Amino acid sequence: MTTKKKILLIDDDSDFLLATKLILESGGYEVFMAEDGKSGVDMAKSVRPDLAIVDMMMETWGEGFNVVSKLRASEGGKNMPLIMLSAVDLQGPLQSFEPPDESQTVNMVLHKPIMAADLLRKVETLLRYA
Amino acid sequence: MEESARGDTILIIDDEEPIRDGCRQTLEKSGYAVLTAGDGPEGVRVARLSKPQLVFVDLKMPGMSGMEIIEILAKDIPDVVLIVITGYASIVSAVEAMHKGAYDYLPKPFSPDQLRAVAKRGMEHRSLKIEARLLREEKERMEKSFITFVSHEMRSPLVTVQQYMESLRALAGPRLEQAFLDILDRCSERIRCLAEMIERWLDLSRIETGLLATDKKPLRLTDVIRRSVEEMAPACERAQIGIETEAAGPEPPLCGDEESLVRVFTNLIGNAVKYTPAGGRISVRSVFDDHYIRASVSDTGSGIPADKLPFIFEPFYRVRGKAEKTKGSGLGLTFCRKIVSAHGGTIEARSDEGKGTTFLLKFPRS
Repeated sequence: MTTKKKILLIDDDSDFLLATKLILESGGYEVFMAEDGKSGVDMAKSVRPDLAIVDMMMETWGEGFNVVSKLRASEGGKNMPLIMLSAVDLQGPLQSFEPPDESQTVNMVLHKPIMAADLLRKVETLLRYA
Repeated sequence: MEESARGDTILIIDDEEPIRDGCRQTLEKSGYAVLTAGDGPEGVRVARLSKPQLVFVDLKMPGMSGMEIIEILAKDIPDVVLIVITGYASIVSAVEAMHKGAYDYLPKPFSPDQLRAVAKRGMEHRSLKIEARLLREEKERMEKSFITFVSHEMRSPLVTVQQYMESLRALAGPRLEQAFLDILDRCSERIRCLAEMIERWLDLSRIETGLLATDKKPLRLTDVIRRSVEEMAPACERAQIGIETEAAGPEPPLCGDEESLVRVFTNLIGNAVKYTPAGGRISVRSVFDDHYIRASVSDTGSGIPADKLPFIFEPFYRVRGKAEKTKGSGLGLTFCRKIVSAHGGTIEARSDEGKGTTFLLKFPRS
């Protein structure tokens, strides 16, 4: 029997977390949720997820990038596939927002809301090539 | 009756001691705290230190001129009211001083009554100026925070509902009958329209608070049209409508915000698609003359009834017709007009019911 791949979800909207968790579970993943950056980073240490999905805008604008930076620095986090979620129009603020350094790069940015089939396909692809 | 001056501070900068003393006596009697300085540098130093509400500045002084003092103080001291004291025949320099930020002038010689009247008027002007500034700041702050509020507090719940619908589809979709899936689809579509309306409405608010169409650079309208047509080509193809462009020669540049202008054209083309039956045609043209660059978006669609035409640019106005399958936000054309006027241009519509509609855009050459 194969063990389920683990996905860590970090977003400050608990409903959004649950809805996304349900989608990912329907795809056969084990999902862990955190409602803020700090508990997300702590959870990553204990859970050691195969992939993490982080909301860009929690508490402060761009908080997601700080979380990404901490995840990248944690054990096993350097090459972990990371998806950044954005609720802003990609034409706008994000385009002019430059992550301060390389440690904050993500593998993919998805715009909310995310279609179920799209999310599952992208997660699968990222995990396959991880 | 003398009004109380509430201890407001007035600074007199004049090189003639009798004038300084005279002014001091008169104004102190009216209840003002009075400071004096005998030359420019001293005056500027005192003003910076004590931040007076009102400053009288003699225009003609040895060393630093009154004009220089006016320029420095107008910049340095917020809300200060500057009044120049000027010799009998130098009204011209008083006018210059007022251009540089002085509020009023007092011609020499002046009586104590004249001095009091000018000081009182200056103080009143100051109160109005402060009140106006505070109101303006409050208005701007409210507008900006309202946009932030709407964009976060209205979008997030919608996004979450959309995400739940997606999870429902992912979890139960395979087990649901087609009829139930159709209901889900209809719900999703209505929510998508609502989200879209919020976006358009936010766009309008952003234009009004000057947050949109701010990135103006020289560009060519033909490039804007080419991008818009490329973007809308799939929608035209789905609706089986042909789209063609026509441009006249090497067009002069236009100073504009490319992203906003692309959205104007995609909006207009999108409208045309919506109201044109399959087999129809959309043409986007651009021409220019010595003064204007013009563009037009025409379709062979159902047209707009003449009595509705004057209202189509109004927010939330919709021409109700059988042809309308998808509901628009009712803000698309309002958005177009705002963006076009932010470029100094105009937009108007001409329509023949049953034959088609043409939107005409006109931008001044930069």
